[in-house]
Amino acid sequence: MITVTINGKPQDLDVDPEMPILWVLRDVLGLTGTKFGCGEALCGACTVHLDGDVIRSCVTPIRHADGKKLTTIEGLSEAGDHPLQKAWVELGVPQCGYCQSGQIMSAAALLVKKPKPTDQEIDQSLAGNLCRCGTYIRIRAAVKKAAGV
Amino acid sequence: MRVLFIPAACMLVFACGPSATTVSMPPKFLPEAAPGVLRAPGDFSVIADKSDRSRALFVEASRVLLGPRCANCHPNDDSPRQGEFSTLHDPPVTRGPEGTGVVAMQCSSCHQGENAKLAHVPGAPGWRLAPKSMAWIGKSPADICEQLKDPARNGGRTLAQLVEHFEHDALVAWGWAPGEGRAASLGSQAQLAALVSAWIEAGAVCPTPVSPEGAK
Amino acid sequence: MARISLVRRSFLQALGLGGAAFALGIEHAEAGPPKAKPNGKVDPDASTLAAVWVHHPFIAIAANGAVTIASHRAEMGQGVRSTLPVLMADELGADMKQVSLRQADGDEAYGDQSTDGSTSVRSHYEDLRKIAATARMMLIAGVAKKWKVEPSTCVATHHAINHPPSKRSMSFGEASLLAATMPVPDVKTVELRPESELTSLFRDLPHLDAFDMSTGRAQYGADIRLPGMLVAVIARPPVVFGKVKSFDPAPALAIKGVRKVVEMPAPKPPCHFQPLGGVAVIAENTWSAMRGRRALEIKWDDGDNRTYDSIAYRETLLASVRAKGEVVRKLGDVDAALAAAKKKVEAEYVLPHLAHAPMEPPACLAHFKGDSCEVWAPTQEPQDARDEVAKALGLDKKKVTVHMTFLGGAFGRKAKPDFIVEAALLSKMAGAPVRVQWTREDDIRHGYYHSTCAHRFSAGMDATGKVTAWLHRCAFPSISSTFANGVTHAGAGELQQGTTDFPLAVPNFRMENGEAKAHVRIGWLRSVHNINYAFAAGSFIDELAVARAADPRDMLLEIVGPARVLSAADLGVAKASNYGAPLDKHPIDTARLRRVIERVTELADWTSARKSGRFLGLAAHRSFLSYVAVVMSVVMDGGKPRVDEAWIVADAGKVLNHDRARAQMEGAIIFGIGLAMHGAITMKNGAVEQGNFRDYRIARIGEVPSKLHIELVKSDRPPGGIGEPGLPPVAPALANAVFAATGKRIRELPLMKSL
Repeated sequence: MITVTINGKPQDLDVDPEMPILWVLRDVLGLTGTKFGCGEALCGACTVHLDGDVIRSCVTPIRHADGKKLTTIEGLSEAGDHPLQKAWVELGVPQCGYCQSGQIMSAAALLVKKPKPTDQEIDQSLAGNLCRCGTYIRIRAAVKKAAGV
Repeated sequence: MRVLFIPAACMLVFACGPSATTVSMPPKFLPEAAPGVLRAPGDFSVIADKSDRSRALFVEASRVLLGPRCANCHPNDDSPRQGEFSTLHDPPVTRGPEGTGVVAMQCSSCHQGENAKLAHVPGAPGWRLAPKSMAWIGKSPADICEQLKDPARNGGRTLAQLVEHFEHDALVAWGWAPGEGRAASLGSQAQLAALVSAWIEAGAVCPTPVSPEGAK
Repeated sequence: MARISLVRRSFLQALGLGGAAFALGIEHAEAGPPKAKPNGKVDPDASTLAAVWVHHPFIAIAANGAVTIASHRAEMGQGVRSTLPVLMADELGADMKQVSLRQADGDEAYGDQSTDGSTSVRSHYEDLRKIAATARMMLIAGVAKKWKVEPSTCVATHHAINHPPSKRSMSFGEASLLAATMPVPDVKTVELRPESELTSLFRDLPHLDAFDMSTGRAQYGADIRLPGMLVAVIARPPVVFGKVKSFDPAPALAIKGVRKVVEMPAPKPPCHFQPLGGVAVIAENTWSAMRGRRALEIKWDDGDNRTYDSIAYRETLLASVRAKGEVVRKLGDVDAALAAAKKKVEAEYVLPHLAHAPMEPPACLAHFKGDSCEVWAPTQEPQDARDEVAKALGLDKKKVTVHMTFLGGAFGRKAKPDFIVEAALLSKMAGAPVRVQWTREDDIRHGYYHSTCAHRFSAGMDATGKVTAWLHRCAFPSISSTFANGVTHAGAGELQQGTTDFPLAVPNFRMENGEAKAHVRIGWLRSVHNINYAFAAGSFIDELAVARAADPRDMLLEIVGPARVLSAADLGVAKASNYGAPLDKHPIDTARLRRVIERVTELADWTSARKSGRFLGLAAHRSFLSYVAVVMSVVMDGGKPRVDEAWIVADAGKVLNHDRARAQMEGAIIFGIGLAMHGAITMKNGAVEQGNFRDYRIARIGEVPSKLHIELVKSDRPPGGIGEPGLPPVAPALANAVFAATGKRIRELPLMKSL
């Protein structure tokens, strides 16, 4: 049995300890906001926070989360009103929207450590999040808007 | 020279079996460096001059250090390399203050304590970049040797601690268990430690820097 | 545009629109562009049609005033849901705050739902307004009858019918009860509002889905869950038309969670939308299915396509354009003009296959229920999906329901429902709802690839440097080869994408298309052949400028020629395909092309920026009825070009939703940088060599310009395409900028392989 606090709620999970966190979230718990994009930690669509740090859930076995706190896009804010989410809506960042959960989760971790990031810091911290539609320019703007810079 | 070397190498195989580590009799010639084979410290005993032997042992060890499994994470800039041809790491992760990446792009965002099961993501405990002072990419064995001996650049290690690092460090060990699709480092971790150890015993002499013209 | 019909109230109950008093559906919109492939016809039986309509109303108004508008097209990032329903609401006079969207299912009753070819606005602008106007006229008719006033004295604004002379007003909700009793007017009598009354449009519109997409609530293909659902991952033949020789299911079945291992039926040529075959592992969850597939031991018979090799094929294409091909366009005598030329410039360009690689790999949930099947899919072509599922399961298509989820990117990939058919077949085999999940490797290795091509140009100049002759030959495997056997040349619809419609002020020209057979599935990818033509021609015009020591901007304007409207005869073709649109409504107008070139170079400060040492590249192209010009500025960074600033000017006619149009231009620039820098799919022994984003790279955030300037030309012309026209000029503008910076001419993409 693996115990993980997911979005503030402790959960006992009777799953294959090797199952990547992504599939536990999506297939077992029905938390589908975290997306599958590459399965190789190359695209960042599956980004979540493990004890506050960014991880790519598609390559991280659930046993790594035992006794830890996991935050997904569903738990980033209760009402979907995290400053980043507000900025995302205000600037119309999403196109297809598929990568945006991951983009926002990476950006949220960045803002905790660097509340006033530079363009370069944004590019470095979001370097692992791909967007095929090409929303990067608005992503940069929205991160800065949320940060008030 | 080559004509002489080949029968010597063959004799060695006949006498000692395929594993170079089990050499019991000192060979008459230093076996030629062969692709994919790391020579054992004993192979170097044919070099009578201790300093020359020490130098040669280090050059041999540097064949491991400069291989992609080690060098990819000993870059001279802020970007790790990846793959057999040491291309820039993609996604483009940045070194960060601790060599563990930057926020949201930490080494541990993707790399765990072991190689991933179905993905090609490698992993080992403490996955990180070596500090820039320990950069190997773009350096000669002579440069690497000097820098390894310098406590200011080697993380304050004594020579004995260097051997300890090469012999037991779990991240170093990954070089010989790099997971599917990656060639392991030459030899074994024990062989590398033995070479470094033998280099130290022979005086820890660094290879002579080679001038651009190739002259000593 | 065909009949609009009132939807009977009893059916609205069944739809969950029980509160609706009034709803309109449409029988069939004829006004869509002709499709490249045959589409099903509407059942002419009127009683059957009634049953179809009622399940698919476009507009429903409830007695409490709530208006529901169907979004009948695929939302894949272009913002169609935030645009077309607003158009209908505006025509109706509804207040968007009281409008909710209903994502339509796939059904011919909606007319054309093929979300392809940048058609959503350009092909539906008038039809959708007519539907909304019909509803508005019926609301007005009902109220006017009750008030005993002339309908013409009533107006529909602010979600109410108003009678200004008497200052009376009735809410839409109340009016809907009256409208439901009125006859549906003949479509010929339906009058649209003057455009000046469409006050919500032609500006930045709110992004209605941004909140759901930013909170993880938007549901994509893999997000739908049903009780008892299983997950399938399929090992497909590495080579198209390869077959399973033998396989051992045991190691897969030994994995916990794996329920079934089944062989998929092998397709027969041509590919069309058939699944590729292979072996499917059906499991309780995705992880088990993926592990099961890994454990499978399959022996493949690779078949005839195993000889396909990108390196050899490149030579085949070049040989094809070095020989005479089929003449597809001509004017004057190009041979004589070339012979008489004082100077000749020749160049060959090669582009690779590309994969769409949407961030969401294909995924589909299907539930076969014995005599019917329900499907949830991220599909651009829900009607094709429905047809193909019905065919594969042997069901009447009325028994197949295709629900459209959000599409996590598509770019043409999700217009091909092979993955949807897989899910339907597997649900039948498993006796349970099945989600087919493609991995990224599946997506990269089993695509419908953008066509690789070779282009060869020979131009002749007279003593003054004027271009007097232009010979262009192209060869590429045709999209038609996916749908028919024995295809050796491109179709007219493909050649119109630059080759036969590019404006040329050159007195003698000839375009030829060479033979090229396909060995993989060829499909359409955002902007399609325009990518290839615009790169080749856009680079060649830059080469002409160099040959003549001219400013590339002047050279481009000279080749485009003076402001004029080109007829088919001017183009040197019998008939201009023109993206299915009539030439009188959407002429090929060089004034508009010139204007975007002039404006983009003005914004980029072209002349003085170049003088001051900046490295700029320019290209312009008309596609999907819109005109776009791009300037890219590059800096060389360790031998690698980096775009530090870019400018894009688009004339897409009237633009309904400026914000989403700009977003598409941003996306086009970034998609274009990715394909120009890195994009290449190669084949060896018939199989794709790439497998994931590590070897099929797309642009990352650090590669995009920090400054991007977008301008939409203010225009009252009919709407042109938005989603695709931005892309074609990007790669040539970038390559031309690299030439400016390095003196190295890029004649083959991707750039990083040529540098």
